[in-house]
Amino acid sequence: MKNLILLCFITFVTIFACGDDFRQVPATGALSSEALANVEGLDLLLTGAYSALNGTRFGGTAQQFATGIDNWWMDAMSDDAHKGSTDGDQQELFDLETYTITPSNSYIRGKFQSLYAGLNRANAVIALGEQITDQDVSAQVAEAYFLRGFWYFELTKLYGNVSIITVQNFNDSDYNQPNNGPAYAQAESDFQFAIDNLPSDQGGSGRPTAGVARSFLAKTLLYQGQFAEALSLFNTVINSGEFSLNAQYVENFRGSGELGPEVVFAAQHTAEGGGSPNGNIGSLLSQPGGGPYGSCCGFFQPTIDLANAFKTNDNGLPLFDAYNDSDIANDYGIESIAPHTPHTGNLDPRIDFTVGRRGIDFNGWGLNPGKDWVRAGFSDISGPFLAKKTSFFQDEEGSLRGSGGWGQVHSGLDYNIMRYADVLLMAAEAAVETGNLDLALDYVNQVRNRAKNMAYVQSPDGGDAGNYVIEPYDSFSDANMAREAVRFERRVELGMEGHRMFDLRRWGITVATLNEYVANESRTIENFGTKARTYTSTFDMLPIPTGSIDLSGDALTQNPGY
Amino acid sequence: MKKLSISMKKTFFSAMRSYILTAALIFIGTLSYTQITGTITDASTGEPLIGASVIVQGTTNGTITDIDGSYSLNANIGDAIVVSYVGYDDMTQNITQIITNINMAQGVLVDEVVVTGYATQTRGDITGSVASVDMAEALKAPLVNAAEALEGRVSGVSIVNNGNPGAAPTVRIRGFGTTGNNNPLYIIDGVQTTDGSILNAIAPSDIEQMNVLKDGAAAIYGSRASNGVIIITTKSGKFNQNKPAISLNAYVGSATVGNTPDLLNTQQHADMIFESFRNDGVPTDHPQYGNGTTPVIPSLLAGAPFDVPANQQGTDWLDEIFRSAPTQNVDFSVSNGDEKSRYSFSLGFLNRDGIQLSTGFTRGLARLNSEFKVSDRITVGEHINLSFSNSQFNNSVQLAFRQSPLVPVRDTIGNFAGTYAASAGLSNATNPVADLERNGDNFFKQTRLVGDIFAKIKILDGLTFKTVLGGDFNGINDRNFLALNPEHSEARTVNALTEQNLNFYNWISTNTLNYITEVNKHTFNVLVGYEALRNSGKGSQIRVENFLFETPDFYTLTTGSGTPQVTFAFDSESTISSYFGSFNYAFDNKYFLTATLRNDQSSNFLPENTGNLFPSVSLGWVVSNEDFFNDAGVLNYLKLKGSYGELGNQDTGNANNPGISISGLDINTANFPFGGSTATGAILRQVGNSNITWETSVTTNFGVELGLLNNALTFSAEYFNIETQDLIGQDFSLINDLSIDAAAPFVNLGSITNKGFDFALGYGGVTRSGFSYGVDATLSTYNNEVTELVSAFQVGDGVPFAGSSANRTAVGQPLASFFGREVDGIYTSAAEVAAGPDQGFEDDASGIGRLRYVDQNNDGVINDDDRTFIGSPHPDFVYGVNLNAGFKGVDISAFFSGVQGNEIYNAVRVFTDFPTFFNSNRSTSVLDAFNATTNPTGTQPALSSSVRNSEIAPNSFFLEDGSFLRLKNLQIGYTLPSSVTEQIGIPEVRIYVSGSNLFTITDYSGVDPEISPPDSANPLTLGLDVNNFPISRVLLIGANIKL
Repeated sequence: MKNLILLCFITFVTIFACGDDFRQVPATGALSSEALANVEGLDLLLTGAYSALNGTRFGGTAQQFATGIDNWWMDAMSDDAHKGSTDGDQQELFDLETYTITPSNSYIRGKFQSLYAGLNRANAVIALGEQITDQDVSAQVAEAYFLRGFWYFELTKLYGNVSIITVQNFNDSDYNQPNNGPAYAQAESDFQFAIDNLPSDQGGSGRPTAGVARSFLAKTLLYQGQFAEALSLFNTVINSGEFSLNAQYVENFRGSGELGPEVVFAAQHTAEGGGSPNGNIGSLLSQPGGGPYGSCCGFFQPTIDLANAFKTNDNGLPLFDAYNDSDIANDYGIESIAPHTPHTGNLDPRIDFTVGRRGIDFNGWGLNPGKDWVRAGFSDISGPFLAKKTSFFQDEEGSLRGSGGWGQVHSGLDYNIMRYADVLLMAAEAAVETGNLDLALDYVNQVRNRAKNMAYVQSPDGGDAGNYVIEPYDSFSDANMAREAVRFERRVELGMEGHRMFDLRRWGITVATLNEYVANESRTIENFGTKARTYTSTFDMLPIPTGSIDLSGDALTQNPGY
Repeated sequence: MKKLSISMKKTFFSAMRSYILTAALIFIGTLSYTQITGTITDASTGEPLIGASVIVQGTTNGTITDIDGSYSLNANIGDAIVVSYVGYDDMTQNITQIITNINMAQGVLVDEVVVTGYATQTRGDITGSVASVDMAEALKAPLVNAAEALEGRVSGVSIVNNGNPGAAPTVRIRGFGTTGNNNPLYIIDGVQTTDGSILNAIAPSDIEQMNVLKDGAAAIYGSRASNGVIIITTKSGKFNQNKPAISLNAYVGSATVGNTPDLLNTQQHADMIFESFRNDGVPTDHPQYGNGTTPVIPSLLAGAPFDVPANQQGTDWLDEIFRSAPTQNVDFSVSNGDEKSRYSFSLGFLNRDGIQLSTGFTRGLARLNSEFKVSDRITVGEHINLSFSNSQFNNSVQLAFRQSPLVPVRDTIGNFAGTYAASAGLSNATNPVADLERNGDNFFKQTRLVGDIFAKIKILDGLTFKTVLGGDFNGINDRNFLALNPEHSEARTVNALTEQNLNFYNWISTNTLNYITEVNKHTFNVLVGYEALRNSGKGSQIRVENFLFETPDFYTLTTGSGTPQVTFAFDSESTISSYFGSFNYAFDNKYFLTATLRNDQSSNFLPENTGNLFPSVSLGWVVSNEDFFNDAGVLNYLKLKGSYGELGNQDTGNANNPGISISGLDINTANFPFGGSTATGAILRQVGNSNITWETSVTTNFGVELGLLNNALTFSAEYFNIETQDLIGQDFSLINDLSIDAAAPFVNLGSITNKGFDFALGYGGVTRSGFSYGVDATLSTYNNEVTELVSAFQVGDGVPFAGSSANRTAVGQPLASFFGREVDGIYTSAAEVAAGPDQGFEDDASGIGRLRYVDQNNDGVINDDDRTFIGSPHPDFVYGVNLNAGFKGVDISAFFSGVQGNEIYNAVRVFTDFPTFFNSNRSTSVLDAFNATTNPTGTQPALSSSVRNSEIAPNSFFLEDGSFLRLKNLQIGYTLPSSVTEQIGIPEVRIYVSGSNLFTITDYSGVDPEISPPDSANPLTLGLDVNNFPISRVLLIGANIKL
């Protein structure tokens, strides 16, 4: 009996002795803060910060189609592009294009979420960098500052009034900061830190150099109308020789040209891996839907207005105000079996690297047959054209076609956030505004001469595919003419690259331009005129998303007019 | 890490060592030869009666029975002993041998033995709130998951069934106490889990008792008891049964869908599209329906690459995806027992095909429960339950709503038809029949072993040591093949196989010392214990693309040509260790006291927050046992009871380490291709909160139990008040759209109260002519209110509608109240629009036919500031009524269940009533769309080809009354007369027909008012109907045979 009691007691005590090691279970497969607190750990987080450029976000309820780094759906709000596909496909994108812009639109929220995700991933690197004192991590931290400056700039460009999240806020998880105004000053100081700490050469990795940071600082100043300061910085970049124009314009939109001399900073993508996690996921909709290219989606179609802009006069110069007096020949409303003759008038050759139109080779996939490759129907608002710059060439399909969940293409093609032609044209813009017309002329003509001297798109039986006529300007007669020339040059050089809406906003001409565009576009696409509402200056800032305001506990304030 | 695994092993071995010690004890036990011993059991169930008084007649020499119902006392052969026990008639028996076992017959008032914790109590002794399921009645419905038996049969418990066969129902006890997981704790013999799916692995027919602890009585299970505890004990044989009892039950039947909403036919669909065009002011021009003034129904689908006949009448896609599904069940059990041992063995097979194509649940299981008296001091035994199941979860209801009626199911040569080209005016829904049939070879196989081994050692008279080692192994093997769908307008370019292998191992060791004694009329029952529990899981998912053949015998991860991708992998573990004790005291069957105390340590919290103490106390007074009470009147039984308890919750979902921030590598979201070569990156995945600590519920309960009319009528009422503090939930106001993209941290979010009443009523009897009848009814209420929050409000990580959530949780409101714009009608004229607040219409005329929103803040503009609380997903009450009657072998029972006063946010209407996908099909409700000339009194907004006026953003137009009354089960049975059955040599044969969910009375317009929230673990999305799988109507015929 005594033994029995004793043994029961021992049993009890033995089990009671479960120690602290039983009660504490560490996380498996996780990187502890100790493991991260060194150069290797910092590099891991820094790569994670760059990864936000691929348009993917961890968890959450983000609208996955909204996060594209290339701002393609902002182009669809501008006069450059239609949303594409049928009107009912992605109803909220239809709303954006037809100027029913509400804070509840999930595209607006998805983009907002992904921009702040990127921004705070950069904050994570900066915060960790502050803890590492025994190793020199200034170059990596400077990259994080550059990225953070970039996200602040993007946020301000889209939403106007945005919240500043400091490293202290990040460390304290105290994110609900008020959106009191633009974050340009924060972007400037981040870019300045990057300029001061980044190397001048990153060995072809595509990481930013001091020159890259300087270019973005200059752009930030340009957006605030600080033209002299911007011009000075742009000139430094231009004179440094770090960047140059590609001889072939098209190399900016081909895999073979990735990280070429013209690339200032790119969101790098790759198609490799199951599901292509580093493809351009956020912009997966903006791939042609029909024909041999064969993606799901067929969004992002150039406007007739944009195509018209490529018309040139007999001197090889743009038509300026008259460009929209008549429409370029197009096959809107006719099936592929009906006859169609492509436009025979003078054209800037860049049109056929920008606008996929019937009868012209489509990036090596064969002659564009028109309607058969267009997902949108004739009663939809999207028109007859296809996007070329975002579509990989047939000979690069093997390396650039990434896969997705259904018929998606996670394209491996890089997106050039800034390329040297953009730098030249921004510099030209600053030069015009500071009265330096000769310099502006020089920069604009560098861009035009490249376009003139490049290889043009060919027809299958040899010879140019179109009647291409392009020449540099002889001179700028006055500031107004120079301004118009620079602005027009931006449109034809950078069309469909995600800049147009922000250019129009910066120039303060959205209301006039876009309402006129809707009227002109409706000459061909009648339903567009019926369905689109009036663009008002309220829309020059996107609304702060309702869901974001809700989650912030009303720390965020809605932009005026919404 | 390495150090850890060694220490884990050490702990495991230390546990094992104790078992070896225990095993050794079994053989050391010494025998007593000087006493009369025996077991007192219930005559009908064979369950041991604990605490029964055994006295040698005419003396004060007595004792009471221990936890096994055994007693021993010094007496002579030839003496008589008197056994008395609450609820049973006293029994006197002469002692003729040294082992005297006595079966006690129950008294008039049924007073069953209830398993309430680490021990059992009789119903009369219970001072807490414990409700029991009448399993015999509940089993009349064809249950798949035993939790279904709780619906309407137990007051205070709300059950939401999931129509997808094999998906566990959602069980909520007394409202919603947390913003996190509200699952109760299940205790199945010696196994504990909060995983409701465990009941899919247990045959309902194997269940002896299912009891629900609703109040402080659950505090003995402190750490995880705040959402209530459901204790399930499985059937065992009886000691001294001495004759095998064999039973065989079988049924076959068929399941069909109930009412489904009506969708437009082709002509209506075409008219709807043309009216939309006219309203929009654009030409009536449609790829399918032509460009005339009225639509022309095509004979061939436009946009198809070859001739596909259009369905001119219209495909009824809901009809196409639902089917009449066979269902079968057979179970067999045998049990027996002698003086030293007893066992029960059962086998079961269930096949429940789902009412949607390619859905279903198949299960085979086996159970062995046995118990052996190794000596008169030592008993060992085990419960083993092994189950294999395959679930096919598919749900294409949304696609069936959306797919155009013009599209046929198949083309002329038998291939699936689809939407082919995007511009064909057929929208972009996939063919739901094709999707389902292509998923037909997918599986979700589970192998689950649930059970425990135990030993009970009687150390001294009244003092018993019990040790239990329980385990729950769950192995999941899931295959999902995504086939090509060439008929679709967004056809897949690549097929892919995804396989998951997940293994979960949970074990628990429970050790208790129990002492029972009686001094005069004072009965004491004291228990102390220690428990250790470890949950661990490990698993991964691998996806491979590009399979040459789409046949299931070709599907392995190595036969696809794509690069295998590990899409997730995890390895996790959590532990709880606890000490506890309980003290039960009773005096003269009149006064009862129970006190419990438990200390828990959870690995989910950092060391400074791990522990917590959970006390409870409850009191009972059986007034009717007082001398002054005249129990011969109308009122025969009266008991008053009250309890107070503190209960805990430490559930942090899948986050086992919520105290720390976790960063990790992530190929999907953290890598980046620098210069074309992909670099490995890491991101912060989860934000930690070192302050996270226990959620605690303070619960008080007052109850009264009545027996009237010779106890033919029983009634009980309870009032409860549960105040939950520090409720554990993810704080989405902290990690949100402004933050890094990590998982939101678990925090102690605030406080919430649930108050309400539970009522239960029973009436029954037998007339002199042999007609038996019975009514059992339950009614439960709860009033939920958030009393404190760390942030202004929480919207959770719910399903956003047009960018924001329809639920909002705020102080002063019930959890997950509906929040949005209030709609007060439809604008019928430009003058009305002009007079109303500015809703942002282009001009007054374009506001005609649009929803009119209430300008809550009277600023003349409708915007987000005009949102307000518009409704509650919580019911006023839930109820159940069970009616049964029997006469001469015929028995009939009907069971009704209902919910009253809740609202449902019918989010399905975002698709079916609005042009979210313009060319998709719609509900026939759009036939009543407003039109100034043709339907000026229309109740639905005017048709348009695009969503206008932000009408799909959260607003009250989507709110509907979710009340319903449902005939859950109707059964008519006939027991063959013994004159017949004796001839065929079978003692008892009963045959029956049964129907489940035969009708539902509701105003709800959706598929089914019994909705599972989109994420059952996330109560912040409560009340949203997002394409539920409807509950099926089952008709079956069956037989119960006893041998």
